Amino acid sequence: MEIRTEQFVEIAKKELKNARNKQFLSVLPLAITISRPRSMQSFPDPEAANEYGRAVRAEAVAGMPELLEEFEKNALANGAKIVWAKTAEEANAFVLNLAKERGIQYVTKGKSMITEEMGLNDVLQESGIEPFESDLGEFIAQQLHKPPFHIVGPALNIPVEEISDLFIAKADMKEPTTDPVKLGYAARLYLRDKFHHLAMGITGVNMAVAETGSIINVENEGNIRMNKSSPKIQVSIMSLEKVVPTMADAMHMIRLLCRNCTGQKLSAYISIDSGPKKSDEVDGPEELYIIILDNGRSEIYQDIQAREALRCIRCGACLAACPVYCKIGGYPYGWAYSGPMGQVLNPLLLGLEKTQDLYHACTLCGACKSICPAGIDHPKMFLYYRVQEANSDKKAAGGFITNKTAKFFDLWRWGTTRAWRWKMAVKTARPFVNRYAKDGTINKTIKPVEGWFRTRNLPAMARKTFHERWAEINKKVTSDQ
Amino acid sequence: MKTVSMFIPCTVDLFLPDIGEATYQLLKRLGVNPVYHEEQTCCGQPAINAGYIKQAKEVAKHFIEVFGEDGAIVSPSGSCVCTVKFHYPELLCDEPAWLARAEDLAGRTYELSQYIVDVLGVSDLGAFYTGKIAYHESCHILRGLGVSEQPKKLITNVKGADFVAMKFSEICCGFGGEFANNYPDISEAMVKEKCENYIQSGADLLLLCEPGCLLNIGGYLSRNHPDKKVMHLAQFLNDAIPFRGKEN
Repeated sequence: MEIRTEQFVEIAKKELKNARNKQFLSVLPLAITISRPRSMQSFPDPEAANEYGRAVRAEAVAGMPELLEEFEKNALANGAKIVWAKTAEEANAFVLNLAKERGIQYVTKGKSMITEEMGLNDVLQESGIEPFESDLGEFIAQQLHKPPFHIVGPALNIPVEEISDLFIAKADMKEPTTDPVKLGYAARLYLRDKFHHLAMGITGVNMAVAETGSIINVENEGNIRMNKSSPKIQVSIMSLEKVVPTMADAMHMIRLLCRNCTGQKLSAYISIDSGPKKSDEVDGPEELYIIILDNGRSEIYQDIQAREALRCIRCGACLAACPVYCKIGGYPYGWAYSGPMGQVLNPLLLGLEKTQDLYHACTLCGACKSICPAGIDHPKMFLYYRVQEANSDKKAAGGFITNKTAKFFDLWRWGTTRAWRWKMAVKTARPFVNRYAKDGTINKTIKPVEGWFRTRNLPAMARKTFHERWAEINKKVTSDQ
Repeated sequence: MKTVSMFIPCTVDLFLPDIGEATYQLLKRLGVNPVYHEEQTCCGQPAINAGYIKQAKEVAKHFIEVFGEDGAIVSPSGSCVCTVKFHYPELLCDEPAWLARAEDLAGRTYELSQYIVDVLGVSDLGAFYTGKIAYHESCHILRGLGVSEQPKKLITNVKGADFVAMKFSEICCGFGGEFANNYPDISEAMVKEKCENYIQSGADLLLLCEPGCLLNIGGYLSRNHPDKKVMHLAQFLNDAIPFRGKEN
């Protein structure tokens, strides 16, 4: 998958003009103001349920190394094969080699963010192995060569007419239609055929249970179940942080995941695999490979602040909660993960230099943090990245931002730590700031804040600041009183 | 008489001093003695948000020295209060003596409407206004401080005022300090929607408790809908309380 995080501003500008997106995105906040609270209310005590979930994630992340070892031991005992991959390249190479070894022509896939992160589809395709996405939205996005617009609904923004044309061209549909049932049926027929002759199915993992060595997938379409039950070989790929201590923990996190993801109490399908088909069983894969992918996470784990990002359960609630996402949609974030989730994860996985806009394009409104079932403090993470960015400023050679900002804040610190210097700075700046002021308002652009003035005026700097007024209001009141 | 220390944010000091004056008058009318330390400047929020914590630390220490001895510190800005309450202890976590002072200060710092309703126990200021009022829930006041009922109580108790619901009142207006300037396209889309929701609410006045949001929403209205009014709650209340003389 192409990484376009550096084109954030450019893509956002384009997306802001997309009327269709606007229409869809304008109702998205209702998911947070109406449907999520409604589904959370089905807990006897919603806040306690949230707290429990946050505690599970905190414990799972803190104990990740030990839990992964426990998971491996139990999954092996169940008959699964465990593959540890340090990097995305290693994981991709494993899947590719396995497919080649077994003479596989094509694979089907359940929707998985981790394979988006790895860029697995591109790798398979380049070697002539066709990957078929089997989640309806992901199937559409894949055929259109578009990144996911939304983590849960990757093609939510695609007009139905476009989908109809696409299915005629790529999925053997005969007649154009805008009926969603007919469209779904066409995709189903097309993909069912792939499942019938399937040799290898690939899925992600929502949770891996350490105490039982089981992997769990949550879905609404049943396609993941087909990916797991149809082929001889099942490959399920998880990142390190998917592991949770107990089955009870996993069950609670699933209840939270579904409510936060789609406003459901439970999704239509939840499948739990503990190993491949046993000798006395009639269905299931003969071989189950579980790839445990690091891809930078063990390094993230070493940093106690950055580690908080690993709490994320990919529910996507933060996307609907984010006022910025609800204006620009998923494309500007430029990679697998979008919205606040992507703003937290992408800088850690791709590096701060490539993702500057992601941790800056935020008003720190805290809506994401307030609903996160995993207990992530997104704004705190962004400030943490900004601190690291500012520190890199000092390293003239290795730094990636201009020294201008550092100089500005040095000067600002000087002016702010003594009131006489503050007042002096005000007196100096006022005529300059107010040079275009008219009737107490500035409506002409002042550099270097032209962004502000594009659509806004600013009150002129006060003829008398509050400091200056205070001297008049009450000369007797002093700071000693 | 109870003494309360006014923490007037830099945005108010420089661009909106009327709000500072209204804060002073309101507190006086409530029977407390408002004091103002002239040594105060800015809380340091811009540097914290930009990641320049070394500079922010020094500014925080200056603030703590200025306000350190006060019994109660009150500010007409929720985000600046959040800076003092939540960011100072984080900034100074590796300096135990300063950390103790910061944590001590955090417990004594209040947003204005919160102080009036929760500490002074007043929710009716005897104010009059004829018209429809909407309220914008500023992010740091609502989600940062958990303050929402307090300002609404003060508004609903204004005689003659009709408090109307505004769609998505709790969604950010698109200010975000540096954000408004650095991402003008996104910020514009956000403030535009905020103002459309205000206009659709049928209110003829929008109230809020955050100077940053006031600059943003007010700046947008001034440019695009000059007939629509937005005001800081302190200034509104101070104007809406009948003059009883003897006030400075």
